Amino acid sequence: MAVSWLARLAACAPVPVFPALGMRGEEALYRLALSPEIKLVDSPRHASLLLVAGGVPPSMQQALRRVHDQFPAPFTTLWYRSTPLVELPRAAVTTVDSLDALPGALVESHGSLLRNTVGHSPRLLPDAPPHPWQGLGDDGHGGEGMMGGVPYGRPMAMPPTEDLRDGLALDVLTFRLGPFFPLWPPGLEAEVILQGDIIQQFSVQSSPFPRALAPVFHEAREQSVAIAALERARARHHLQALFHALHLAGLEGLARDALRLADRCPSGDIALLAKWFKTFERRMKRRGFFALHLPERGALRQEQAERLGGFAARAAGIDRDARTEDDGYRRLAFATITQQAGDTRARWRQRLAEIAQAFDLAARAQRDDMRTAQTDAVETPRGAWRDSRPGGTSPLLEDLLPGLEWGEALASLASLELAALSPWPREERAETQMGGAA
Amino acid sequence: MILDQLVWPLALVLAALVLGPYLLAVLDGLVARGLGLTRGPGLWLAPLRRGAWWLIQHTNVTEAPDGRAWRLAPALYLALAAGGLALVPWSRAWVATDIATSLVLWGSIEALATVVIFLQGWSANTHLTLVGAYRYVALGLSYILVSMFVLIGVALPAESLALTQVIISQQELWNVLRQPLGLPLFLIVGLAITFRGPFNLADSTDLAGGTSADVSGAQRLVWEFARSAMLVAFSGIATAAFLGGWLGPWLPGPLWVAFKMLAVLALLAWLGPAFARLTPEHCVSLMWVVLLPLAFVDLIWAGVEALS
Repeated sequence: MAVSWLARLAACAPVPVFPALGMRGEEALYRLALSPEIKLVDSPRHASLLLVAGGVPPSMQQALRRVHDQFPAPFTTLWYRSTPLVELPRAAVTTVDSLDALPGALVESHGSLLRNTVGHSPRLLPDAPPHPWQGLGDDGHGGEGMMGGVPYGRPMAMPPTEDLRDGLALDVLTFRLGPFFPLWPPGLEAEVILQGDIIQQFSVQSSPFPRALAPVFHEAREQSVAIAALERARARHHLQALFHALHLAGLEGLARDALRLADRCPSGDIALLAKWFKTFERRMKRRGFFALHLPERGALRQEQAERLGGFAARAAGIDRDARTEDDGYRRLAFATITQQAGDTRARWRQRLAEIAQAFDLAARAQRDDMRTAQTDAVETPRGAWRDSRPGGTSPLLEDLLPGLEWGEALASLASLELAALSPWPREERAETQMGGAA
Repeated sequence: MILDQLVWPLALVLAALVLGPYLLAVLDGLVARGLGLTRGPGLWLAPLRRGAWWLIQHTNVTEAPDGRAWRLAPALYLALAAGGLALVPWSRAWVATDIATSLVLWGSIEALATVVIFLQGWSANTHLTLVGAYRYVALGLSYILVSMFVLIGVALPAESLALTQVIISQQELWNVLRQPLGLPLFLIVGLAITFRGPFNLADSTDLAGGTSADVSGAQRLVWEFARSAMLVAFSGIATAAFLGGWLGPWLPGPLWVAFKMLAVLALLAWLGPAFARLTPEHCVSLMWVVLLPLAFVDLIWAGVEALS
């Protein structure tokens, strides 16, 4: 009786959801972040629902099983446009294909879980260390003396090596994160070696999943499109990226505001959008967002910036933008914006400036119904799309992140777009839906 | 005699220990609603719902944790918070722990909190929790120093280390006006020791929850409850040290203490989410280069004022 009373009370709490994003799963994340009945969490230990959004390649299913088994009981799973793992019993699986139905389905699953009307998800992997205990050495840790060795298949915290920051050497800690770590791009898996909270080595094991863009960028490669639509989609993309950075900074209210603005981008009144964005930008500055990003942290070298292209290159002072080659944009007197520093802070300044510029261009293009004049090169938020789509550039992290403090490293990662451009656009349906919501 | 010295003070400490974190959670909910993070009815029930969910969720284990230390850390943090609350004088007669060195005991609670927070992050034997623990240890000393200097500042005019004497010394003028730097500095330390808002470096979002990233169920409930209880204890000490404790017209002393504590909690709940999290480097600089010298200035100010 007491338990059922407790369960009824708990069922009314916001649903704690851990999102494991597969390919093209981001839209689900952005929708749920704005659903007050859902609480997105960054650790599986803090959730009772595993949401797998988007396709998971077979090579990453074992990693998904490991995430699944980290959930404390009771928990269940929900699969949004994804194929459930075959070994999961049907009672512990809910599948949803509609973005609109997703928040409701999560609430329903949570309620049913607490009322015991759906099955709890079972453990999929044996509850045993991934590698056998080695039991060697004087202290039974697999190495010699007090240090070294690989008990349970992982290196021990090793004796100090040279410190990258201030000479104070701490134990070296090696671990692997991803591909479902929610604080960096979905699909990215890396082996990280930390000394204290400083990254000493960052080895990319798998690249982020290709990122799908709004259909208008793909259309622009085939035919003339309205510049206003293109610029609205650009602003939306950058605002959604900003959500991750603001969440990392602990500014949850502003993170949601960024998504609300992004939702209104496809069809909202452009003058109002520009005005709201100005207020939003002011609040971001006032609340110390830029103070979080110290100068020179995450700075790209010239050749790295050139390889990345797009806003990241412009933030490093490279005056290159495919829009300057388009007559439509020329008629709007488009001028490239650049920063000089090329660091994390400069990239965010660049992105914010490009959002403001996108609203300005959209407003003027809309008034005169201006359209793009060329299809050979399109400036996407990921960089110029000419003969080939911009590819993945995650290996540059191995050079960029060592020496950074953990929080700075994640902030740098959030400021970059490293995933390759997906050959398929994001679904049009989601776009019109967002427009309707606005 | 027993009523005044034992029953009432103990009842008030227990009431503050239970109601304080609950009211803080309600205040946090109110602020979250202002930021557009939540909506709809149920502001008063939301903390209970969250608590019920934590009670239903099982407590998990990690690979080879230091089990006993891990389970004990949240309880120890709660015990420290309760110890802090026991020092708060509710009236001239109602003090649960009325000792001549209550300010020193509070200082030791702040120092022991560092050990307990490290224990919570370290004993889980996982990487992100450990980074959270490292961060707190790297910063904890600077928090304690700032706190101690401003508290010595309030002890000077009282010529005593007992909180009751500190309150009596404020009969003419509260310390918040007499030593204007003291309360702001002490409140910043309060946010830092309970790692809230811009000072949330130990349990931060970039560490997926930091020292509590791998904690679930009842253990997490106790940890979150203890964090809130520690802030309630902070508000109690701040009330006594800077806001005149039980002093005030018309109402009984304990009510004044409760109102003042609630006002401090409301201010901290509002300040917490208003600013971005500091980087560890910024936080170290802020503490050692800005706040610690300001604490010296506060102490000199208090000394000169006490002499004149």
